[in-house]
Amino acid sequence: MDAPEAAPFHDGFVALFDVHFPRLYRYLDRLSGEPDLAADVAQEAFVKLYRRGAMPDSPEAWLISVALNLFRNARSSRSRRGRLLTQVRSEGVLADPPPSPDQAVLTEESRLRVRRAIDRLPERERRLLLLRAEGYSYRDMAIALELNESSVGTLLARARQAFRECYEDPDAP
Amino acid sequence: MHLDEERLQRLLHDELSAAARRDAHEHLAQCDACRERLVVAGRDEGEIFALLRRVDHPLPPVQAEGLVARARGFGLVWGRWAAGILLVLGVAGAAYAVPGSPVRQWIRAAAAWIAPEDRASPTPRQAEAPTARAAGIAAVPGRTYAIAFQSAQPGGQVRVSLTEGREVTVRAPAGAARFTSAEDRLLIDNQGPGATFDIEIPRTAPWVEIRLVGKRIFLKQGERVAAAQSADEKGKYVIGLD
Repeated sequence: MDAPEAAPFHDGFVALFDVHFPRLYRYLDRLSGEPDLAADVAQEAFVKLYRRGAMPDSPEAWLISVALNLFRNARSSRSRRGRLLTQVRSEGVLADPPPSPDQAVLTEESRLRVRRAIDRLPERERRLLLLRAEGYSYRDMAIALELNESSVGTLLARARQAFRECYEDPDAP
Repeated sequence: MHLDEERLQRLLHDELSAAARRDAHEHLAQCDACRERLVVAGRDEGEIFALLRRVDHPLPPVQAEGLVARARGFGLVWGRWAAGILLVLGVAGAAYAVPGSPVRQWIRAAAAWIAPEDRASPTPRQAEAPTARAAGIAAVPGRTYAIAFQSAQPGGQVRVSLTEGREVTVRAPAGAARFTSAEDRLLIDNQGPGATFDIEIPRTAPWVEIRLVGKRIFLKQGERVAAAQSADEKGKYVIGLD
């Protein structure tokens, strides 16, 4: 990595990281509801990209694919070795004054309702909707999720509709 | 003819070619229904994306250079380790082969120390679990499962109960601990002042033991339980960690 020709790759990597690490982390965080796992997997995907030593044709799609594989392996491995029992908590991103108890309860209920709606979506719709929410292109989504690019828009419309139904009728099976 | 769903979505997401976008806009100029569909789709998506943000957690403080260092360091560090291990194995192998070498006795002693009973030493495939925000850990026990406290803690205690669940769970409601979990064992780094640990063991687990600094303080073997303290009226075994 110290050779002169590696400098463009290094610079490209840093630029890609600055733009796409937050997107990849948010995507994995929303997908799993586990911020620690999302952070680990997103970092590992970028480490793998750096070790690769060259940019793939579609770096964003490559990162998503690698991250999803790591994510699946991590969950599978952890289910064998033990899972952490973490305390449920909500975190404020901004330094707002702490909410009143009533407000805090409403916020937590709302968060859980969204979480449940995400979890109830079929896997393809869930991944597609969450990727689009981070602004990934149709091409990247199609490559990463192995979909036909010409139908991504239609699938996205269905994913939104499915999310609406899950969110508005949380008690439905 | 109205815009089909694919074209409408692509228009919304700026995923049409210039020519297709021009055609779509020409259609919208004369079609109230499709204009309305586009507005509704955009509004719907905006509302859903706002809902999704409610489950977000803060971005971790990660720097690109940190990951670069990690990526670069891996090969170097592991290369050195591999060379070191090969060197040690080579020297040890040569020493072991010499007739009358004390190395053979050392290895037997080390094996007896690692596996004091008849059981074979489990493969140390470990995953370290960060516990900054963790209340405990759960795992499905296999044929055997060992829980090992690495330190004595004056004033500390472990409360063991048998449950109808299928997982061994260890929680630390008081005090802090670091867990290292493998498939057949759980190491608990419980240094510091006294702490309380709640351990639940499935009644169906065939063999589960708890050790404190190498000394067995609890064993469940089939339906039989042997513990350093007898069970209280609720069936819970409360055992000191000192």
